Amino acid sequence: MNHFPEAWGRPRNDVYGAYDASHLQSSMPNQHTQSPIVTGTSVVALKFNGGVVIAADNLASYGSLARFTDIERLKQVGTHTVVGAGGDISDMQYLHEKLLDPLIIKEEYQNDGHHLRASHIYRYLSRVLYQRRCKFNPLWNTLLVAGWDEGKSFLASADLLGTTFAAPALATGFGAHLAVPLLRRVCPDEAAVENITREQAIAAVEECMKVLFYRDARSLNKYSLAIITGEGVESVGEGAAKEKVTIEWKKDVELQNQSWKFAEGIRGYGAQVV
Amino acid sequence: MFRNNYDNDSVTFSPQGRIFQVEYALEAIKQGSVAVGLVSKTHAVLVALKRNAEELGSYQKKIIGIDTHLGVALAGLAPDARVLSNFMRQQSMSSRLLYNRPVPISRVVNAIADKAQVNTQHYGRRPYGVGLLVAGVDETGPHLWEFQPSGMVLEYKGAAIGARSQSARTYLERAFEEFVDSSREELVLHGLKALRDSLAQDKELTTANTTVSVVGIGENFKLYDGDEVGEWLEKLGNVQSSRGGRTGEEAAESMDTSE
Amino acid sequence: MPSSTSIGTGYDLSNSVFSPDGRNFQVEYATKAVENGGTAIGIRCKDGVVLAVEKLIGSKLLVPGSNKRIASVDNHIGIACSGLVPDARHFTSRARSEASNWRKLYRSPIPISSMADAMGGYAQAYTLYSSVRPFGVTAIIGGMDEAGGPGLWMVEPSGVGWGYFGAATGRGRQAAKAELEKLPLPNITVEEAVKQAARIIYFAHDDNSKDKDFELEMTWVRLEKGSAEELEEGGATKGWGKHEEVPKELVAEAERLAKESMEGGGDEEMEE
Repeated sequence: MNHFPEAWGRPRNDVYGAYDASHLQSSMPNQHTQSPIVTGTSVVALKFNGGVVIAADNLASYGSLARFTDIERLKQVGTHTVVGAGGDISDMQYLHEKLLDPLIIKEEYQNDGHHLRASHIYRYLSRVLYQRRCKFNPLWNTLLVAGWDEGKSFLASADLLGTTFAAPALATGFGAHLAVPLLRRVCPDEAAVENITREQAIAAVEECMKVLFYRDARSLNKYSLAIITGEGVESVGEGAAKEKVTIEWKKDVELQNQSWKFAEGIRGYGAQVV
Repeated sequence: MFRNNYDNDSVTFSPQGRIFQVEYALEAIKQGSVAVGLVSKTHAVLVALKRNAEELGSYQKKIIGIDTHLGVALAGLAPDARVLSNFMRQQSMSSRLLYNRPVPISRVVNAIADKAQVNTQHYGRRPYGVGLLVAGVDETGPHLWEFQPSGMVLEYKGAAIGARSQSARTYLERAFEEFVDSSREELVLHGLKALRDSLAQDKELTTANTTVSVVGIGENFKLYDGDEVGEWLEKLGNVQSSRGGRTGEEAAESMDTSE
Repeated sequence: MPSSTSIGTGYDLSNSVFSPDGRNFQVEYATKAVENGGTAIGIRCKDGVVLAVEKLIGSKLLVPGSNKRIASVDNHIGIACSGLVPDARHFTSRARSEASNWRKLYRSPIPISSMADAMGGYAQAYTLYSSVRPFGVTAIIGGMDEAGGPGLWMVEPSGVGWGYFGAATGRGRQAAKAELEKLPLPNITVEEAVKQAARIIYFAHDDNSKDKDFELEMTWVRLEKGSAEELEEGGATKGWGKHEEVPKELVAEAERLAKESMEGGGDEEMEE
């Protein structure tokens, strides 16, 4: 008798014939995320002279259900950077809690004068996203990274495919279609940035949040806004120039001055056909 | 005959709390020829004396470039240095790939330090038999670190390792206060003078046995070998140890290969 | 310490081996390595923890203020080590892994006592096998957590770890301990402790390694500025602290006072 453990409790081969092991096959091909579950919608951001402003609403939808209305989708990472996330909320939380938070702790406990700035964090996130898509198991997010880097404002985007690009005005999700054209009126190209004031930029982004709330059925009238401003560039040596970066937060901002007048003119929905 | 029982491996402490195998590894550095490093406010410089095994043989490489902002000089077992410098190159590339950032000098130095420490605490390994001077520039300025087989790393304004390095160190200790405000050229010359002081009698610096490297803020790591060293030796003038000898110009022409 | 008769009898040549009288000599020898190291102390206060080390300077060519000896292992914990510096780096990097794993598992920072437990276990594991040697390090672990407030622990090469109000290790530990015992611990503030720590390090240095140059390195752990606990009236003593270097001006002032007290004949009662 076969007394090896793997044969215990099995029908005897000499009586029943060799066991057809193919019936034991229990594993299916690896399955990965095919679609996001709880999602956030647009993130909107715009550079201005001396900084960058970024906004995202506080909604996490479960399909078309407005499931959570107090979700923060903008998060400060280190001292120079804010990351805004659209797409799957649990993937966003994974990014922050399991990757970025430890990353920043590790960076800071070295206590050697080096800090991860926006471009470093952006590169890191792009690499993570691209690596995951190469494993056919993407983190289902579109990210905007906003910050201050080497004396300039920084704004760039990375998505679940590992696609990366930068522009002075960016938006993710629905906002990529609806907000970007609005922002480009204010800021058509990089050269225009120096003529945009902080107030103009905030106003433009707030306007976008409003239009998005009008038109995007997965959006909310409550949002967060972060304004990253910087001065100077860090240089080395004694008495060298220091940069000064401040991040101002406006949380739980309610949309102001809504006007739904335009709704009367909308045709083609529901029972009303003409 | 006295026999030290506590020196057979790196996992045994002596009653005084010493680890002899590690101390012996430190001795291996002194078997290598001298290397000198120094920093100013803007530059980090490495200079070293190369050796050839026989007159017709080539000279052993003493300075290894790691990245555009960073290089090392070695004294001791060259193969060990190659293992460590390959590791540093990997660290450097992964920093650029993952963070779009040239690796900070202290981080890459600490990475090899941690690697070396493990070899001093586990049976069946031996400590590295090489000392390194790591010179580089990062966002916090120019830096010079010394690495030892014990896993010890220290940041210096000027340092010398290898055979007869004490003479070079004596020079550095006498002159180091001038380093900080030195120009690129002055710094290299300080390095060469320290190197010259550590020469054995009747030896001299030549284009064949001297190697120089410079890295600075906004200036890539540059290695001067062979004929390229000639310009530095000319500026140095006297290339012989502590007694007037031939000038750098003559030495540069002579292609001396004496050991 | 091993009596000279038992040295060289063969029981001290390998780690993890007991001598006939039940001692592990290799661990005792590792402790010797610690006793040759620069003095390190920790003070537990009512509102935080102060760590200080005497960093011996072997050459004037070293960059002042570089080559730090007190490490952060998480936002709220610092470790000051005495003994073999490379071993200390290994030890603290393990502590960093412990802290990071704890965060990943529990979504919260590691309590100080748990960190001391974990590191005691790690050090102890290096006494168990002949294939490794013990750490030549004694580590003072200081921090502040939500449940216990300020916490101060000292882990030795054997893996033993006790909680302390005032801890000292390294070559000046006897002198430092004697001074620490005079303090009304833990009922002093972090600011007072900074001055005392500086004075004690200077005192211990004078006692043991007067001929050598040294740098004083000091860190503290206290409630993060602007945290809810700090803003509570009077400042609560519990909450997650922040481990950071003591501001330069405070260190300079503490060093000035320390030097003064040395000139005044040392051993004075604490001022204020």
